[in-house]
Amino acid sequence: MTITRPGAPDRPSGTGLRVGLVGAGFIGGTHLAAWRSEGIDVVVFDVDPARSSLLADAFGVSVAPTLEALLVATDVVDICTPTHLHASVAIAATRAGRHVICEKPLARTLADGEAMLAAARQAGVRLLVGQVVRFYPEFAAARQAVVAGAIGDPAVLRLTRANSRPQQAADHWFFNHARSGGIILDLMIHDLDFARWVAGEVVSVACRSAAFEHPGAGVDHAVAILTHASGAISHVSASWAYAPQTSRTAFEIAGSRGLIEQDSDRTAGVERSLQDVGASGRATSLADGALGGDPFRLELAEFARAIEANVEPRTDGADALETLRLALAADQSARSAGQTIRLEAGAGS
Amino acid sequence: MTATQARRRVRIGVLSTEHMHAASYIRLLAKMPGVELIGVWDADPEHAGAAAKLAGTRALPTPEDLLSMVDGVVITSTNVDHRELTERAAAAGADVLCDKPLAITVADAKAIVEACDRAGVRLMTAFPMRFSPVIRSLESSVRSGSLGSVVCLEGVNSSRMPNNLAPWFVDPARSGGGALMDHVVHLADLYRWILRDEVVEVYAVANRILHERFDRVETGGLVMLRFAGGVFATIDCSWSKPRSYPTWGGLSIDAIGTAGVIRADAFRQRLAVYGGPGAGVAWPSWGPDEDQGTLDEFVAAVSQRRPPAVSGVDGLRAVEIVAAAYRSIETGAPVKLAT
Repeated sequence: MTITRPGAPDRPSGTGLRVGLVGAGFIGGTHLAAWRSEGIDVVVFDVDPARSSLLADAFGVSVAPTLEALLVATDVVDICTPTHLHASVAIAATRAGRHVICEKPLARTLADGEAMLAAARQAGVRLLVGQVVRFYPEFAAARQAVVAGAIGDPAVLRLTRANSRPQQAADHWFFNHARSGGIILDLMIHDLDFARWVAGEVVSVACRSAAFEHPGAGVDHAVAILTHASGAISHVSASWAYAPQTSRTAFEIAGSRGLIEQDSDRTAGVERSLQDVGASGRATSLADGALGGDPFRLELAEFARAIEANVEPRTDGADALETLRLALAADQSARSAGQTIRLEAGAGS
Repeated sequence: MTATQARRRVRIGVLSTEHMHAASYIRLLAKMPGVELIGVWDADPEHAGAAAKLAGTRALPTPEDLLSMVDGVVITSTNVDHRELTERAAAAGADVLCDKPLAITVADAKAIVEACDRAGVRLMTAFPMRFSPVIRSLESSVRSGSLGSVVCLEGVNSSRMPNNLAPWFVDPARSGGGALMDHVVHLADLYRWILRDEVVEVYAVANRILHERFDRVETGGLVMLRFAGGVFATIDCSWSKPRSYPTWGGLSIDAIGTAGVIRADAFRQRLAVYGGPGAGVAWPSWGPDEDQGTLDEFVAAVSQRRPPAVSGVDGLRAVEIVAAAYRSIETGAPVKLAT
């Protein structure tokens, strides 16, 4: 069997898509770099003018003084704000008739996510959500192998995301469960989405998280066990408990006829062991595992093609709503001491 | 060798060769200087004869023929036969090293423990991974506090489907179940030992998709445990390795604590050999042999007339966890265990 890699993005089509980036934080910078690599023009807005200027200047793009000004100047709004603010920005953008690209998770609550989808439908615009793991070559290749029948029907999945604690200050929105949804909505959601992509919809989930089981411990680690409608079962582990500069992903997909294994520790194309830890660290970065193409660039290029050329992307807002529904169920289980949460069968929007 | 020296050696026999562990134990026992391997019994005299011949010992026609001559006995039968053979050994006054799982039901496991208590014989459950230097290193790191306080343990004990080694593994009447019955006890026991704590809640899911949807027993399973002290722990017990996998399977634990994470992989110490017998790649182990540690401990306990480091109650507790896992699969909800 041949595994073909997802293609490198075509060069920009030259139709002059104008992107308005909202939120000039960490992920905003990642998106901006990807857009610029695609040669696409970007305008930046952030509620903090100093932050938007800093980011815009670094990439030589312009700043919008207000969200309204950004909406006037662009075709697509790319939302990179804190999670709990996704909905208000998205709904404002759709009302202005703009397509929306939104960083994962779709929203902080299901009601917000549903409102975003309804608003996009009503306005007749695209709503696309950056479940970026689907654009990581190892994940995309594994999914393609499963679809091609390489291992038969998926039976037992084990998905691991082992990270050090994010470097943000303790009062950052990232660590505020009401704003970010914590480790389950922010980190585990990557593999919850991948589990759905490979083994189909999930009918029940049980999850435990150190944040709720050991609230005083200052360590965050969560594990979920999923049962899919197909009968497949998944073990999903997400951690911020590892040593500084750790960023490892691993998965195993066992099927009726075979097994797929992948571990980023063994597949990084470049390993760095530098004397000056301050320079760029000892560790292999996620990007070293994806030298064939920046996954964010692949993602945003595919979304741009969807908007410009009406080519269906591999994931969209309705899909992301189901992943959010699953992540929220896992969070609910974790908050109720691992009780099994059932998801409505075929709960599509 | 003088008669006195011979008498000092611990006399050990093996009851049943139906479990593939029997071959390993017999081979090791035959080489242990402190052991006199008395013989082997199996319900199938041909199997007993073949196993005995390999180790230069004899085959005995009945369990009692063997039991009348030994200090201790290693039981490596099908899971369902553990109870009857242990009870017969206890009645004959022989100490017992019984393969895992101790029994296929909680009632049988309790009966085994009680029979040995009543007869005043030692009962050790064979949990070889307790003697893995890799796992012992993890345990001592946890005990010393270098991991801070543990919040979560994640373990994988996956393998090929063992029915090619012994067909009874997939006959529920003789094995008691599939991948859950086969594998959960190892990690459940290690977790209890590492944490010195008991399980209070068990959640489990299972399916029958692996190996071309082989459906006589469950072949895939995931378990989530909660301990009294608050640690949560998971077990992947699936028979998820295909026949073509380069080794039988493995066992690993990720221990997550407030001071970081320790990963212990008990079977990572292996070569990759290409072009050997058969096609493809093989991963022969060069790591330590945990079966030897198991036998050393049993023989020492028998010889020194002391309790073995792994008890019958340890075996019973692991069986209780497995039974709760099967109940959880039936109900689809977590099951509470009395402490």
